[in-house]
Amino acid sequence: MQSFRGVPRGNVVELNRVYVAYAGSDKPAIIDISLKIPMKKLVLITGPNGAGKTTLIETCLGLLKPFKGKVFLLGVDTRKREVIKARKMCSYVPQDFMKPPYEAFSVKHIILMGFSSYKAPFEPLNREEREKIVWAANLLGIEDLLDKPIGILSGGQQQKVLIARAFARKPKILFLDEPFASLDKESRIFLAEMFRKYVDSEGATVFIVSHDVNPIVAYADITVELSNGRIRRVEEC
Amino acid sequence: MLGLFSLAFLAAILAGCLCGAIGFHIQRFNVITLSFSIAHAALAGASLGLLFNFDSTYSAMIAAFLSALILGLFFIRVEYERELISMAVFSASSAIALLSIYMSTTRVLATASVAVVLWGSLLAVTLQKLIILLVVTVLFLFHIFAFRMHIDAILYDRKLAEAEGIDVQFHTLVLLLFTGVAIASTLKLTGGFLVFTLLYNPMASASQLVKNARNQLILSSLLGSSSAVLGLVISYILNMPVGATIAITSSIILLVSFMARLVSEKFKVKEISKIML
Repeated sequence: MQSFRGVPRGNVVELNRVYVAYAGSDKPAIIDISLKIPMKKLVLITGPNGAGKTTLIETCLGLLKPFKGKVFLLGVDTRKREVIKARKMCSYVPQDFMKPPYEAFSVKHIILMGFSSYKAPFEPLNREEREKIVWAANLLGIEDLLDKPIGILSGGQQQKVLIARAFARKPKILFLDEPFASLDKESRIFLAEMFRKYVDSEGATVFIVSHDVNPIVAYADITVELSNGRIRRVEEC
Repeated sequence: MLGLFSLAFLAAILAGCLCGAIGFHIQRFNVITLSFSIAHAALAGASLGLLFNFDSTYSAMIAAFLSALILGLFFIRVEYERELISMAVFSASSAIALLSIYMSTTRVLATASVAVVLWGSLLAVTLQKLIILLVVTVLFLFHIFAFRMHIDAILYDRKLAEAEGIDVQFHTLVLLLFTGVAIASTLKLTGGFLVFTLLYNPMASASQLVKNARNQLILSSLLGSSSAVLGLVISYILNMPVGATIAITSSIILLVSFMARLVSEKFKVKEISKIML
């Protein structure tokens, strides 16, 4: 597989017989997972609570290291330090995104933090990045919230802020953990369509973890169903 | 040439400001126990310096730097057992410190030197030590301004920052190294057992009074400087150990901040009740 520097030709994510366990736990959270995901795909990862969905995408990102097997993100072994550079081409929206009411970072500041990994010391934001912030905020319909502190926003609004941050980075791979959890039905359908458009227009790969398949299953290219840490079914749509 | 009190006064301002700023980052990076272990490693280093007749500031700096490097490189990712490892380093460092102090007092009768390491002294601040403290403060400020965006991203959400390609481990290691050097530079002013009060109390007080991260950082530095200067003046007037008076002053400021928060919250509840009625 080629390196992360160019546009990847092969699989953007590859797992070979991967086992991951949390420290202090006797039971692996994911067991013997093998998966190859190419570019330009919308991947739905589904399954009941405790199936290992979040563990799987955090393993793909290299945030969790396998105790057995190998994981490659954009061709880079996630055990190697170079994975930090590969992650710069990825965005992530975590499941536990809620911040307490006293968290005072403004929405604009949180979106601009998304550019920090590309920045050299003392380097300010450029015009293109400022435009991307406004573009992403408009896309998610949160342009009126840009100067507000994140802590005072509702769960749905906070989730939209993180999705806007993820889009503003224009990633090659987008990992979203339960992105519909705090949203109303209209927003869910709107977002599902937006993820599909992003895959088609940018040639990116989007991973969506969702225990509820309804909002996204019609748009997905690949559905991975997990159960008790194992892959139960992989379906190409 | 600066007088003894002027030197100590300037050192107190710098040490308070530096420890307050570092304390803010320690708390938000969630590495409090690691920094606690580094503080005790510095104490062990200073005590070994006494035993082997070596300048205790430099021996403390070497020990703190090495412990920060080891904890930062090898144990920062071990979340499950990190606290236990930190406590093991803390226990071992305290034991080395006590043994070295015991051996140095019985062998070379260096009681005055031991007192400086344990509870600090105005007399221990020299121009050279003041310059070291100034350089460390300037370097730390340079670091947090240079990497402001990276550090803000980590302060907001550590896991998200890591997922987006920020080298969180590097920034945590740098913070721990600065913590080690700052503790070693401040050790002789506050004493080894009380140095961490300047790290934790100002940040704890600031978090009671303001919620905005940037304001917390500024207030933590200001409260650190105020505690150190007030403690120094009290120590001078009452002829008491400077480390203890700084620790008591910063603890009183923390208590007052906590009470101010309680009063302000009660006032807010009353205001809301009035509006509801």
